[in-house]
Amino acid sequence: MAEMVLEVSDLTVRREGGTAVEGVSFALAAESDTALVGPNGAGKSTLVQAILGILPHQGGGVRLLGRPLGPRGQLPPSVRAQLAYLPQTFAVRNRCPLSVAEFVGLGWDPPGLQLPWRGSERRRRAVEKALAKTGCTDLADRLVSELSGGQTKRVLLAFCVVRPRRLLVLDEAQAGLDSQAAEQFYGLLFDLRRSEGWTILQVSHDLEMVRRTCDGVLCLNRSLRCWGPPDHALSSAQLERVYGRGYVPYHHHHGGHPSR
Amino acid sequence: MTDGPSLGDLLALPFMQRALLGGLLTGALGGLLGSFAVLRQLSFFSDALGHSALLGITLGILLGLNPTLVLIPFAVLFALVVSRLVEHSRLPTDALLNIIYSSSLAIAVVALSFVRIYKGGIHQLLFGDILGISWLDLVLIVGLLLTALAYLGLTRRDQILLTLDEPLALSRGVSVPLHRLLFIVLLAVVVAISIKAVGVLLISAFVVIPACASRLVSRHFNGYVALASGLGGICAVLGLLVSGAFDLPSGPCVVIVQLIGFLAALALAAQPSTGNEAS
Repeated sequence: MAEMVLEVSDLTVRREGGTAVEGVSFALAAESDTALVGPNGAGKSTLVQAILGILPHQGGGVRLLGRPLGPRGQLPPSVRAQLAYLPQTFAVRNRCPLSVAEFVGLGWDPPGLQLPWRGSERRRRAVEKALAKTGCTDLADRLVSELSGGQTKRVLLAFCVVRPRRLLVLDEAQAGLDSQAAEQFYGLLFDLRRSEGWTILQVSHDLEMVRRTCDGVLCLNRSLRCWGPPDHALSSAQLERVYGRGYVPYHHHHGGHPSR
Repeated sequence: MTDGPSLGDLLALPFMQRALLGGLLTGALGGLLGSFAVLRQLSFFSDALGHSALLGITLGILLGLNPTLVLIPFAVLFALVVSRLVEHSRLPTDALLNIIYSSSLAIAVVALSFVRIYKGGIHQLLFGDILGISWLDLVLIVGLLLTALAYLGLTRRDQILLTLDEPLALSRGVSVPLHRLLFIVLLAVVVAISIKAVGVLLISAFVVIPACASRLVSRHFNGYVALASGLGGICAVLGLLVSGAFDLPSGPCVVIVQLIGFLAALALAAQPSTGNEAS
């Protein structure tokens, strides 16, 4: 039996007085690529944020790499270090004067107290390697706030790849990208997933891309409506259950996405 | 311009030496904390804290205690209460801070008008007084600077991530609520201690202007923090020297020197960049 990187059981998350996610259960095997789909307001971002401990959960449980997540997001640092998250929007606050190399270095730094100069040489080498892997070497001295949307996404991938990770969670990674930039991003993600052995959970509205690249689909509309391979989960009947009657899935035409 | 003492005479005076050392350290502290506060949109918070500090000083006078010692716990308590209010209020933050600081200032000024001994000193409270820096203040400032350096240095990764993007920081295991609280407390203490030199009306400039000047010309975070801190210290020393030489209020002199530094940074930032532009 494949190792389970993420196990979610009966997870309930309440936000602003209402229940945003209710009784969700699923598990992700190592090195799988699973999409989380559903209409706007279905609780997709809430679910992934609760899984990572960014939001507290009120019921059920989450196990990451076999270790339970505390109700307020507590997780052993050694487990936390193996997770990575690409937020839906990453607007660098107030043009923070942070270079790309410095930012990627933050992905390398372990959690907790640390002398600023400790491990600086190892960090520098890891950053160089991560920038090379993601084609960002020429961006090293640029300010993160100056990057275009596509460059920002690649730099975020460098932030993830700077240290070995097991689980990568992406929240609408294609948001804000034109079709060409989305194409390049998913090509890079696909290559890195294979070379790094990442398990991926990605929130997506691009059902065409999901059908081509993912090996599992979770359909969410507050509760989990279906879970299975794309051919089953993205059938017209299942989509109607999730999105409602008369739903016509929006297709992006990216043409050359890498296939499973 | 008055015929004041020469610069050499001034530097030989113990109170001036204390003031310059105090100014250098508080300026550096203001720049250090300000570099994070500005990016976290806490500029107006430090302004509100400064204005409300007059109420703390008034309390100290009414209780017959050293105003500095009363001001520190007052500022911390004020910062914590205001943070809670901002978190839980449905009102916009700037509007809420405006209500709090103008009310505190009004109450403090009315209360001070009943205290005869401080009637002449209100100008000094509002605009700062270099003569006011004592050895106790210097000890407190040194302790605070070391604490701030240790805290921000050891938690550098967490502080930058928190400044950059809170969800990303949380996903990396950063204790966001704890660090937010500790930073607010530190900022409150720095504001409380710096008030003697700069005055309640201009204290936020100590926190905001060097950081903004540094941000305009910085391309790396470490350099940004170091430059903000250095500018804060240098501007404070130059401002205090001008203040001492021409018998002018210290706070405004420091702020005018900071403004000159900011304008210089603005001019420097407007120069055509030699680096690549974002595509």
